[in-house]
Amino acid sequence: MHGITKSFAGNTVLTGIDLSVIAGEVHALVGENGAGKSTLMKILAGVHHCDSGQILLDGQAVRFASPADALRQGIAMIYQELSLAPHLSVAENIFLGREPLIVSALGIINKTELNAKTAKLLGEYSFKLDPRARVGALSAADRQLVEITRATLEAKRVIVMDEPTSSLTAHEVEELFRLIRRLKASGLAVIYISHRLEELESIADRLTILRDGRAVYTGEWGEIDRAQIIRHMAGRELKEIFPARNSSLGEPLLLVKDLSRAGKFSDISFTVRSGEVVGIAGLAGAGRTELVEAIFGATPADSGEVHLNGSRVDNVNPDKAVARGLGLLTEDRKRTGLCLNLPLATNLTLANVRQLVRAWWLERKRERAAALEYIDKLHIRPPNPYKTIARMSGGNQQKVLLARWLFAGSRIFLLDEPTRGVDVAARAEIYRLINKLTEEGAAVLMVSSDLPELLGMADRILVLRRGRLVAELNARSTTQEEVLKHATVEETEGPELAMPRGQLHAIPNS
Amino acid sequence: MSDLIKRFLPFVSLIALCALIAALEPKFLSAGNLAGVARQTAVITIIAMGMTMVMVSGGIDLSVGSMMALAGVAGAFAMVSGAPILLGVLVAIAAGAACGLLNGAAVATLRIPAFIVTLGAMGVYRGAALLATDGKAVVGLPSGFGYLAEGSLFGFLPIPLLIVILLAASTHFFLTSTQAGRYCYAIGSNSEAARYAGVRVSRYQILFYVLLGAVTGLAGAIESARLVTGQPTSGEGYELRVIAAVVIGGGSLSGGQGTVPGTIVGALIMGVLANGSNLLGISSFMQQVLIGAVIVLAVTFDEFQRRRLETATS
Repeated sequence: MHGITKSFAGNTVLTGIDLSVIAGEVHALVGENGAGKSTLMKILAGVHHCDSGQILLDGQAVRFASPADALRQGIAMIYQELSLAPHLSVAENIFLGREPLIVSALGIINKTELNAKTAKLLGEYSFKLDPRARVGALSAADRQLVEITRATLEAKRVIVMDEPTSSLTAHEVEELFRLIRRLKASGLAVIYISHRLEELESIADRLTILRDGRAVYTGEWGEIDRAQIIRHMAGRELKEIFPARNSSLGEPLLLVKDLSRAGKFSDISFTVRSGEVVGIAGLAGAGRTELVEAIFGATPADSGEVHLNGSRVDNVNPDKAVARGLGLLTEDRKRTGLCLNLPLATNLTLANVRQLVRAWWLERKRERAAALEYIDKLHIRPPNPYKTIARMSGGNQQKVLLARWLFAGSRIFLLDEPTRGVDVAARAEIYRLINKLTEEGAAVLMVSSDLPELLGMADRILVLRRGRLVAELNARSTTQEEVLKHATVEETEGPELAMPRGQLHAIPNS
Repeated sequence: MSDLIKRFLPFVSLIALCALIAALEPKFLSAGNLAGVARQTAVITIIAMGMTMVMVSGGIDLSVGSMMALAGVAGAFAMVSGAPILLGVLVAIAAGAACGLLNGAAVATLRIPAFIVTLGAMGVYRGAALLATDGKAVVGLPSGFGYLAEGSLFGFLPIPLLIVILLAASTHFFLTSTQAGRYCYAIGSNSEAARYAGVRVSRYQILFYVLLGAVTGLAGAIESARLVTGQPTSGEGYELRVIAAVVIGGGSLSGGQGTVPGTIVGALIMGVLANGSNLLGISSFMQQVLIGAVIVLAVTFDEFQRRRLETATS
């Protein structure tokens, strides 16, 4: 790609970008949200057209009228926003548009072959998915695997992966990387967009850094170190990704006892104290999200107790939970967090509209003041209370959702993948905010697939495996390897599961 | 920028339409004719106020035409058996609210799509109205009752128009400046997000259907007053005109959008189109074609807006 320039409605988002990708390499594309990575890739994939500049494919200038056009030239893209048909099966989605047919003139699909082909493909990639499962019933991680599998069928020359690991667990990331190495070996060029520099370490061959719509650096991976990469991305130094916290532990604010939900998790007990950050680690499907949703009452548990602020809450539902100072930052902000077509201010105040009402009247002035207060505190950009939230970047959307619980006066924060799809600078701000909250006495329970993040932020880490709490680790003394080992050990270690629960809590609080 | 266009496009279209008709036929602007337009569109506009709430919250109610007939018949029965006019009107409102409660409870608790629930309810309420009256009009209404439809305040303000103005002002206040109104937009925009923010979604959904039922009952009383009988067959096809008013006015079938001023303009565009066609001698068949085209145009425009929003998110 040469000299790519693009503007939307007068805003220049890309300025003269050069990007060359060689067959058989993994080219990492990094940059903060809004740096122009997705736009650049959408131009490559034929979704957008550039205002000036050209795309050369094997030396030939090409122009893609549509994504289908780009696909015909062998350029496939895995979008950050998943684009699957929820009512169709895994196999039907993967082979959508190129189903094996029995009688081709009539378009009758050979279902047996379809499922067999899919099973073979998934087996090769070591993705544990049922070809017949409905995509709509899958977790976000599994849907992402389906999307990736589909793209590998389409890609002939270039495959673009936009944050492919955003909802995958460490284990699945390993599977994906193995797949990427295969694709690379088969002569494909892989363009890999990610916020997670840690994971690029093991996969990237070359690197291009975008900032504010310009390519500010291109070179071999490893030529510059991580601190320099971050400096290029942010245009400023970010010394502490995980800043130190100075909080003292107080009363238990959240106590969970023998919580169970059939088929999801069983007999989970733990406490989170004021001033403490407790991390939850585990593979996808280990029951992490289901657990926090049960505590919040969004999908209630079958049995067990939840105590908030020292008193037991029965039949917990989100309404009660919020009233008692619980706030849940969900893993899927588009589905369960944001009202996309509504303004920033409305989204921010949604959990505490009562605060804005005097007598019968909802006071716009209060709403505006509240929004401006948190825009300022959390550095939300753009600082416009009436900006439609859909038009803001992921990091800023996430900050608005955090601000929602701050405005609601929450004391117990359940954060499910709090930095998914959030750029480095915004991540550091979110970490600082979590620290500030705990220093002020809040309790934080944080689910994350990002192990460095858990190790950097949590005091203790609870490891879930297949719905059971199998280990409790001191985050200061444990390692990624140890957490992973607990999260992945298979049945061969059966005796550990049978260990008395008391022993699992043997490691004292820090 | 595009938000501004979206907000004002219906208003601009209405003004342009009025100007065009007035230029072709100056009689259009006479006080008598305008009052006529107001009376003709009042019933639709009143129901459309409730429909705006339900549609903003992401629901829909196809049963309002039947519901209006049933509520009108109930009010008429009450008055024929000796109830004073005010009580008769209240009976109609209560009957409508009860129907709305049924619809809302079915939608919110059984989690059946509103389209299906209210499609069924449309048949049930119509059948109930016909059964109760044996298919005949309820006659013998008190003589003063017609005032509700034909009377004027201070001799120039038609009573139905007065009701529309009061109702529109309170609905607008409800949607823009109350907690329930705020939840209405949030639920329609993303009901799961609202639930996760601690909003009691089902309870509010039911409330919106009940309010729609109540205003539909009021519309039923006015329609009875206009027809001077309780007609079990009245209101047929009204549901589509009401929904069209909301959609033309910027409401969305997928929820989270819509305003009272927009809906009023939507109802007026249809009313003015009908009235203007009559004045200009365009056949009523042609009017149907015109109104149909306007609805498709409005929805197309809405869809384009949404697509723009979606591309902006990625």
